[in-house]
Amino acid sequence: MRAVFAIVSAMMRELIRKKDVYVLFIFLIVLLTILACQNFFQIEGISRYVRDFGYTAVMFFSFIIAVTFTARQIPAEIEARTIYPLLAKPLSRYTLIFSKFCGGAVVSVLCFILFFTVYGLFCFFGVEGVDPVLFVQGLIFGILCLCLVSALVVFLSTFMTLSANVTVSFLLFMLINGFSGPLRNTVLLTRGIASSAAGVVYYLLPHFDFYDLRIRITHAWDPLPMWLIFSVTAYTVFYCFMLLFFAGAIFRRKRL
Amino acid sequence: MKEIIVVEDLSYTYADGKHKIEALVGLNLKISKGEVFGFIGPNGAGKTTTIKLLLGILSPVDGELTIFGRPPSETQVRKSIGYMPETADYYRYLTPVELLNMYGGIFGISKGLLRERVKYLLDLTGLAQDGSRLMRTFSKGMMQKVSFAQALINDPDLLIFDEPTGGLDPVSRKKMREVIQQLRGQGKTVFFSSHELSEVELISDRIGLLNRGRLLAVGTSKELLGGKVDSQSLENYFLNMIEAKV
Ligand SMILES: Nc1ncnc2c1ncn2[C@@H]1O[C@H](COP(=O)(O)OP(=O)(O)O)[C@@H](O)[C@H]1O
Ligand SMILES: [Mg+2]
Repeated sequence: MRAVFAIVSAMMRELIRKKDVYVLFIFLIVLLTILACQNFFQIEGISRYVRDFGYTAVMFFSFIIAVTFTARQIPAEIEARTIYPLLAKPLSRYTLIFSKFCGGAVVSVLCFILFFTVYGLFCFFGVEGVDPVLFVQGLIFGILCLCLVSALVVFLSTFMTLSANVTVSFLLFMLINGFSGPLRNTVLLTRGIASSAAGVVYYLLPHFDFYDLRIRITHAWDPLPMWLIFSVTAYTVFYCFMLLFFAGAIFRRKRL
Repeated sequence: MKEIIVVEDLSYTYADGKHKIEALVGLNLKISKGEVFGFIGPNGAGKTTTIKLLLGILSPVDGELTIFGRPPSETQVRKSIGYMPETADYYRYLTPVELLNMYGGIFGISKGLLRERVKYLLDLTGLAQDGSRLMRTFSKGMMQKVSFAQALINDPDLLIFDEPTGGLDPVSRKKMREVIQQLRGQGKTVFFSSHELSEVELISDRIGLLNRGRLLAVGTSKELLGGKVDSQSLENYFLNMIEAKV
């Protein structure tokens, strides 16, 4: 556990000393300010836009950090040849994979919490109130989503180049977030072997759409029931575990 | 005398596309406790490959290999090994102190002990002034010193150095040799590779000569030369050995 902690804290230093996050953070504040300023015109429902676009921006920015930061971890160790002194320490390759996942998750979750807090402040200045419980649920779902993203990216980084990894992660995220409904319908409509194959693929894909509370927050609907939160948490834990297990198995066989 | 490293018929082949590169062929070696062993050979001889096998980073294609009587694939074996790689571009966003703390954390060294150890190593390597500077600005030689310091963080019983003096100025080289002598004095076992004869000769108890993956000779410099030892004759001996086999 000390080993994991040591690697995670070095990764946090990396985040603080590289400037990517500051840029995104300033960008987010500018964006939210512009959106919020529309409120002065008192157009009805305008605070919904703040919530709608703001939520999308917060999720997307956190996703960018999770992917770009986590994806470069292992390739960078190999490139700088620091992977050798690292593996010469009493550290199994499984533990290294797990540490890189933890670091990626912690770093992106911290950024997300920062972004989401700013977003929350902007939203509460709006006209319609959103149940704070729903906000907390949005926070929890965002955190779970970023854990899943980090696990996926670490898994891909054991056998893909950095750019391939980033591209695939972005495509999957966009595809599943944007077209989950149509995809499911296609799966349900096709028949025969093609249907079962498509079904398997569909259900095996990481379901980023589970975590998407955009519409619920935009329209200030009621909070989610507890059982749903638990199910999604269980799904995340299981999915991350499987990804990291396979990542470790691949990385263990990798010739360095 | 207790054997720290035992290598029997060790072979390793890289599969580089269609090519197969026999990097190591039937290596046999025994290294005892307290010994300073110099592993010498021209570029591409297979020194780094041997070291990666000793550290469990590569797995042998053939043969047996134990360190402290156990296979190097066991994570715990590495608790008492210190390794200095040939080159490594240590994390540019960290300072040497932070790097040493991270590695110390991986070894599970207690906070108090680690603080003393870091200070001691920075003094030893002459990095005390630069301990809190980001390594972004470090020269190759400074990185090499950091690399040396990190190899000693766990106060290891076995030290494995891959070309430790490459990129160092003469003063630092001398200092490095002194530290290796000092480590020998503490009863540590040192396995180091080099392609520079003068270096190996000055500090090694025994020398192994590797060329194209094969161990051509092993022994003390006296044994290899049959009595008269001077750097000229040793150099001639090695050149003859290598050329004879080409
Ligand atoms: N990753 C690799 N893939 C293919 N061949 C390699 C690899 N690493 C080393 N080699 C080859 O193995 C041989 C031994 O290399 P190495 O152990 O690095 O030599 P040395 O450290 O003595 O200079 C060389 O011919 C080198 O080209
Ligand atoms: Mg080498």
